[in-house]
Amino acid sequence: MTEAPHKRPAFEPASELLKPVSHDPEMKRPPSTVAGVLLVFLRVLAGLIVVVSILLDWRNTLKEVDVSVEGVESSPELAQAALIGVVILLGVVLVVDAALALFILTGHNWARVTVMAFSAISITGAFIQWWSEDQEITITGSLLTLGLDILILLALSSRSAAAYARRNERL
Amino acid sequence: MTDQPRRRRYSIGVAIDWFFFVFAGLAAVWLAYLSFTETFNVGWWGIAVAIAFWVLLAYLVLPRLHRILTTVYVPDYFIGRARTSDGLLGDPVNLAFLGEADQIHAAMRAAGWTQADDVTLGSSWRIVTSTLTRRSYGEAPVSPLFLFSRQQDFAYQQEVDGNPAQRHHVRFWKCPEGWLLPGGSRVDWLAAGTFDTAVGLSLFTLQVTHRIDADTDIERDHIVRTVTAADARVAVSMLRDFSTGYHARNGGGDSIRTDGDLPIVDVSATKEVTP
Repeated sequence: MTEAPHKRPAFEPASELLKPVSHDPEMKRPPSTVAGVLLVFLRVLAGLIVVVSILLDWRNTLKEVDVSVEGVESSPELAQAALIGVVILLGVVLVVDAALALFILTGHNWARVTVMAFSAISITGAFIQWWSEDQEITITGSLLTLGLDILILLALSSRSAAAYARRNERL
Repeated sequence: MTDQPRRRRYSIGVAIDWFFFVFAGLAAVWLAYLSFTETFNVGWWGIAVAIAFWVLLAYLVLPRLHRILTTVYVPDYFIGRARTSDGLLGDPVNLAFLGEADQIHAAMRAAGWTQADDVTLGSSWRIVTSTLTRRSYGEAPVSPLFLFSRQQDFAYQQEVDGNPAQRHHVRFWKCPEGWLLPGGSRVDWLAAGTFDTAVGLSLFTLQVTHRIDADTDIERDHIVRTVTAADARVAVSMLRDFSTGYHARNGGGDSIRTDGDLPIVDVSATKEVTP
């Protein structure tokens, strides 16, 4: 009995695309990784400018704060506390962001995936607001921060950056 | 061996990478659209925004889209062409070599060719400074092209009158072990030689690139002639009409003409190689 030859599919199987990357601990750091890290630092710098401008203009910013939680009277003390809380939260986010950038620079994949995930969430949010709520995205407004997020995602998702972050993975 | 860990045929991490790769591509298209519409809203600053739009489109958005689409559509086996880092078809493979890497290095150096530097921050900076000061940079790196899914192993070039816009260059790839050319001939190395005629804006990728001479046979014959003239022990055989059917464009959109012959340059007799 001869077996009929199997017909080959006319396309490559999708699993071909998901083959693990090659193991290469000696790989040099690619420019895309460096660019991604620099962009994250730019984002941290932009956040620092926001924090410093709040601190320098504390009184005026305080006047604009309007804490309106149900069942709680809005008071200057409450606004003060809320603003301090926001500044501390921003500071923590910036420190974490900078730390993640350093981990990416030294080639840790979890840091790269974390930064990419947060960038993707922020981009998706901006897109939904732009598409369904017609929020304007202008160069004087949110285009720069959005552009920074997209460029970070582009750099860190590139094949060379991915290969560098996964250089120690064994098949 | 029974306790050998089972190899997984796919990786979830790579699937996540692909998700972000495609997501970033779509996000970049959106960013290009936003910056394009913004060009008309900011008066004279629109010129700067338009330049930013072009850089974004030509160097980030289109390459990412090309990469995604060519992964789907362009087969990854040998089709006589190198591929650019975006997956587009690049320079035609028009030379084959027999011999060890050291012998090829020696033969090329003896024939008056200079090995190209790797692309690094330092060599990129040197390209900028040498272009601005009009000094020659004989070891200027060549862009990466891919064959067998691998970047070239090394590349050689010859400057023309110290002009950075024009140069002869040839890239070398080591063939995988036991690999045969279509038709069954065995060669150790494949090479792609082309002549850069000028630097210009490619209407194909919208990037600034070297334009190559359409008649790739002239460059192929130039390489063979210089190598054989330098060392009499170099033998050349010819695969006639190897790629007569290939007439197309390279990765920068330049058209290519060739008679299709593939010279096989045998440098294995040049000297004993110490293993």
